[in-house]
Amino acid sequence: MPRRNRTRTFAAAAALLLAATACNSAATSASGGDKGGSARGVSDDSIKVGGIVSMTTSSGYSKRDTDLGAKARYDRANAEGGVNGRKIDYLGAEDDGQNPAKNLAAARKLVQQDKVFAISPMSSVTFSGADFLNKEQVPTFGWGTVPQFCGPEYIYGFTGCLVPMPGGTLTQAWQKGLAEVMGGARGKSVAILANDNDAGTFAIRTYKQGFAAAGFDVTYAKAVVPATSTPSDWSAYTKEILRSDGGKAPDAVVSVMQTPYNIGLFTALKRTGYQGVLTDPTDYDPGLLAKSTSRKALDGVHVLLTFEPFESDSARMKQFKADIRKAAGKDVPLNMHMMTGYMSADLFLAIAEKAGRDLTTASFQEAAKGFKDKGTLVGDRELPMGQKESFGCGALVQLKNGRYEVSSPYRCYEPIPFK
Amino acid sequence: MADLLGFVLSGLVSGALYALLATGLVLSYSASGLFNFAHGATAYLCALAFHELHSAFGWPAVPTALLLVCVVAPGLGWGLDRLMFRKLAKVGETAQIVATIGLLVALPALGLWIVELLEQAGAPVQPAENQFGLPGVGPSPAVSWQLMDGVGVDSDQLITWVTTAVVAAGLWLLLRHTPLGLRLRAVVDNRSLVELRGMSADRLSSVAWMLSSALAGLAGVLATPLLGLSAHDFTLFLFVSATAAVLGRFASIPLAFAGGLALGVLQNLVAGYASFADGLTGFRTAVPFLILFAGLLLMARRQRTAGTAAVDAPPPDYLAGRSWGRRWGPWAAGAALLAIAFYTVTTPFWSGILAQGLAVSLVFLSFTVVTGLGAMVSLAQATFVTGAALVAGLLMSQGWPFLGATLVGTCAAALLGALVALPALRLGGRSLALATLALAFLADQVLFQTGWLRNGDTGWAIPRPVFGPVDLGDDRALGVALLVLVAAVVAALSALRNSPTGRAMLAVRSAPAAAMASGVSVVRTKLLLFTLSAGLAGFGGVMYASYNTRITATDFTAMTGLIWLAVVVAAGVRRPQFAVVAGLVFALAPHLIADYVTESAHLPVILFGLAGLALANDPDGYCAAVSVRRHRHRVSSSPAPPLPESPADSRIADRPPGSSSYAAEEDSALTLHEIHAGYDGAPVLHGVTLTVRRGEILALLGPNGAGKTTTCRVAAGLLTPRTGQVLMDGRDANRQTPVHRSREGVLLAPEGRGIFPALTIDENLTLHLPHRTDRDAVYERFPALAARRTVGAGSLSGGEQQLLALAPLLQRPPKVLIADEPSLGLAPRVVDEVFRLLTELRDAGTALLLVEEKAAEILGVADRVAYLAQGRVSWCGPRAEVEADRLTEAYLGIDTRTEGNDTRTEVSGP
Repeated sequence: MPRRNRTRTFAAAAALLLAATACNSAATSASGGDKGGSARGVSDDSIKVGGIVSMTTSSGYSKRDTDLGAKARYDRANAEGGVNGRKIDYLGAEDDGQNPAKNLAAARKLVQQDKVFAISPMSSVTFSGADFLNKEQVPTFGWGTVPQFCGPEYIYGFTGCLVPMPGGTLTQAWQKGLAEVMGGARGKSVAILANDNDAGTFAIRTYKQGFAAAGFDVTYAKAVVPATSTPSDWSAYTKEILRSDGGKAPDAVVSVMQTPYNIGLFTALKRTGYQGVLTDPTDYDPGLLAKSTSRKALDGVHVLLTFEPFESDSARMKQFKADIRKAAGKDVPLNMHMMTGYMSADLFLAIAEKAGRDLTTASFQEAAKGFKDKGTLVGDRELPMGQKESFGCGALVQLKNGRYEVSSPYRCYEPIPFK
Repeated sequence: MADLLGFVLSGLVSGALYALLATGLVLSYSASGLFNFAHGATAYLCALAFHELHSAFGWPAVPTALLLVCVVAPGLGWGLDRLMFRKLAKVGETAQIVATIGLLVALPALGLWIVELLEQAGAPVQPAENQFGLPGVGPSPAVSWQLMDGVGVDSDQLITWVTTAVVAAGLWLLLRHTPLGLRLRAVVDNRSLVELRGMSADRLSSVAWMLSSALAGLAGVLATPLLGLSAHDFTLFLFVSATAAVLGRFASIPLAFAGGLALGVLQNLVAGYASFADGLTGFRTAVPFLILFAGLLLMARRQRTAGTAAVDAPPPDYLAGRSWGRRWGPWAAGAALLAIAFYTVTTPFWSGILAQGLAVSLVFLSFTVVTGLGAMVSLAQATFVTGAALVAGLLMSQGWPFLGATLVGTCAAALLGALVALPALRLGGRSLALATLALAFLADQVLFQTGWLRNGDTGWAIPRPVFGPVDLGDDRALGVALLVLVAAVVAALSALRNSPTGRAMLAVRSAPAAAMASGVSVVRTKLLLFTLSAGLAGFGGVMYASYNTRITATDFTAMTGLIWLAVVVAAGVRRPQFAVVAGLVFALAPHLIADYVTESAHLPVILFGLAGLALANDPDGYCAAVSVRRHRHRVSSSPAPPLPESPADSRIADRPPGSSSYAAEEDSALTLHEIHAGYDGAPVLHGVTLTVRRGEILALLGPNGAGKTTTCRVAAGLLTPRTGQVLMDGRDANRQTPVHRSREGVLLAPEGRGIFPALTIDENLTLHLPHRTDRDAVYERFPALAARRTVGAGSLSGGEQQLLALAPLLQRPPKVLIADEPSLGLAPRVVDEVFRLLTELRDAGTALLLVEEKAAEILGVADRVAYLAQGRVSWCGPRAEVEADRLTEAYLGIDTRTEGNDTRTEVSGP
């Protein structure tokens, strides 16, 4: 074929294809929500629910047990007769491997192939499926540590939205709890340390304001620790911190980093003989007690948690433990991921219950608006407030002699405006 | 001051680990020319094994560590060498880089899969995830000592230092004071000469890989308390330690070792004193990669401008001369079917996945520009994707239309590409790959941490565009639109390849010096390649982001770019269509495997890593594997191009080629019979028959290009003849490797000098004469060598080097010596000396095949003379019968009937 003819043929074919696309796309852009009363994934006696969880990762951090937590909660719901006469058909969680592409693919698979009514839990550091799920009107529940849990109509965090939005509010649970531990905030100095990346910078910005608002004297707040791998040497950071309060050590050191960093930082601080309060928001994991290094590093540290501590002896905690044991088939060490799965499922069940027998996406959303309950494992829940801010509850536990002890009991606090 | 001391001391901890890893990198690189991206993965695998055996199975720490470092890790290195690395050493650089990238993800997955299987089998394994504060070899928790105010060490650090020091000393002893070490250093210096000296370079390469793996394993076990069980962290750690390998120029183990230690200290000092950069988010995180980038720019030796063609030979064009329909018909039909499928058979889910595959194909097409056309490995493509999409998203949030924002985003990516291209002007090969990787990490850690550009973790919405009635919000519409775009880009790239610019790119790729000489600007061409590729990646990135409807700064990281490259090269990077296949496979395969093969998340990753194995066999990718093989088969089975009629040809017809009926004459030491040989479809020898007898010098004369060196290579076993026979002592030696032949006593002294320039004179001699008495005899005979026995052989003059190459042979004369132009570049006085030595060898009974271009001198020593012209022996006879005009005629390639008759009588033997 001569070259010019080739080009023409190609252009004509392309134009034809695009024209065909035009005819069709106009007719098929309906969204996947409800059609004629019956909702996707809802039958007379069952509701199909999926999950997305980071299980296998290259970073060695896994949220696998989220799946078990959700299963435990759904099992109990089904044992109690289901929701308004419908059993929960929980498909188990898709593994997104902390990979954005896989996260979106998992969301698409659950909706388009498995046709689930809702996704609960969704727990991952990446949530690229959020736009798709929101557009397809799939109620989704998970751990609100990423901004996608703050705003979109169909997406709910089980403890609310945990990412403060400018113009929104800041929770005070950590600051108030710490003030209780330290006997008041007035005149107490704190140093805050975060990773050297955008998230760390943002964390410093919020916690600096949060601690100052609670009455603490923030003498050091820097996002300087290399974010890609744990430093082998912490002296550069500890030296600066220990001189930050006018040449003296601050009364408390606040780390807003992940566990491996906290182990390194706290070990280094203790070796210098630091006697003040250490605290972080991530290290509530009874699994950490199994290793002598982490047990020693975290000894005495006050850890923030946004749900009721496992050490609590309330009836609901006993129920939680019993459910987990039943679902796992044996005694397993508890961790926060189980709580994530369990309470994500719980919030979904509570709203579905309220939506009544006529369950559609619309009726579910209607029920979510103005949903309110009290005294759960994550405190008092309220929607749609929870799509803008955190439920604002928390407790501090302290690791002492190889076990966690509650140092500031679980309660809910008034948030402050975030500037 | 105490601060400084503290920083230095603790910097030495990571420094020691860097040093161990860098040493392993250099060892394996020098043994087989491979930069092992998977070195960190080996370390991770050992860390994982150590954790499971020690913490879960309760094995004691030190014996477990010893078992892993001394047995398991070397075993892994040995296995990988046998399976992959050995073959990879012979293929192009791109395939080498990519194959080990495959391993980088496959090895950790393999480890995790084994743990998963053990768990299913009921073994008391511990999960590999969420393990923090892991014990190392020493006490856990580590014991610490305060040396002085602010300066402390703990037991883990101490163990790392002491072990590293012991390993350094051990390596020094091994390499400097053992025969094995000497051979290893020789193989580093000149791999092919090692083979010609009768040592198996393959076996030595296995040893090097075992050592390298052991060092990685050691680093893994020592780093467990520091890095935990994060495969990602181990790989990052490896990239940083690559800096030290660069400092050692991938050749010097002591330099790499010292570089590793210095790197750790430098990194610590910068972290300690970098308060000036507090305002720049990500600076401290990026310090190791800044050092890597700077190190590459400063330390990497400037690439030779000539000869890169040999590094990455182009694949045969198996479609050459086919009609347009044959070339493109199947692809056009495939595209049409896919477009129809969108609206007929595919479910919404598969439509979405196909659209995603097409979007990623657009990005993958950018690899065919920079790597396919330009033969430069860019590991920064993901950076261009993120950059373009972020810029486009930022503009769209300001109300820009889709097209405008996409255009600006594409331009931004192209600009980034031009920036990344700057190191390409200086670097090439693996240095360039590492430099682009460093830049990609720098972009991730600094540029994309800029708040206004990334918009936190929310990123920017990139809504699907609507053009009049065409709403790309529908996956099928988007799929078809992407299909059209992909087809247009494929067509444009194919047109580019055949345009003058494309030819200039290919010229720069294969011979920059020649390209420059013919007026092609290398700088402009390389810049253009990178800019174009980055722009294309950026455009594809915006389209991909619009499939996702959002871009966040962490969607496509530097590591993603690494995987992408591997996926594209595994499919084939030379033709744009293959990139589309790669994109579709990349999107579809995981789901197909999950649906039909296995639920395990690890198995697909392991399979992906096996693509590296496939590359070792088909370096041009799986898309073309069948066609290329068929093409090779066709070429090799087709008759050689017609040659001028000569008597030798008529003789070939009489005897079936390769028949084993030929019997050598009695006192022949080496016989070549009817050798037809050449390089990849280009025949050089057309039936060469030669016999060298014991105690005789046969001079092989001929003009440039006659096939003299090829004859030598066939005789030494470096080149396998297409047909014909090589006989040693009358026995068939066709299947014997160079190593074998050398051990049997057939030595080739290659063109240039047959010595190891980086080894001392004494070490050069030791390789041939392990016994001291033999060496002493050589020194007695050549006092000039004796006086400088500890001097590096590379610093000798040309004549002395040639003497050094021949001297040990005199002590232990070989059966056959094939000397390829021994007088090349030597002063006349030295030439006389060399020829005198050769005569001495003949008198000792050696059969010599002496190849020379200059006839005059050699006629003085030769017993018989053969003329080689146009790949065949045109005359062979005793020296006495050599006539001046016959010589001239042979050189001019004129063949007369009478000489032809002579050839026959002489060649068929007395």
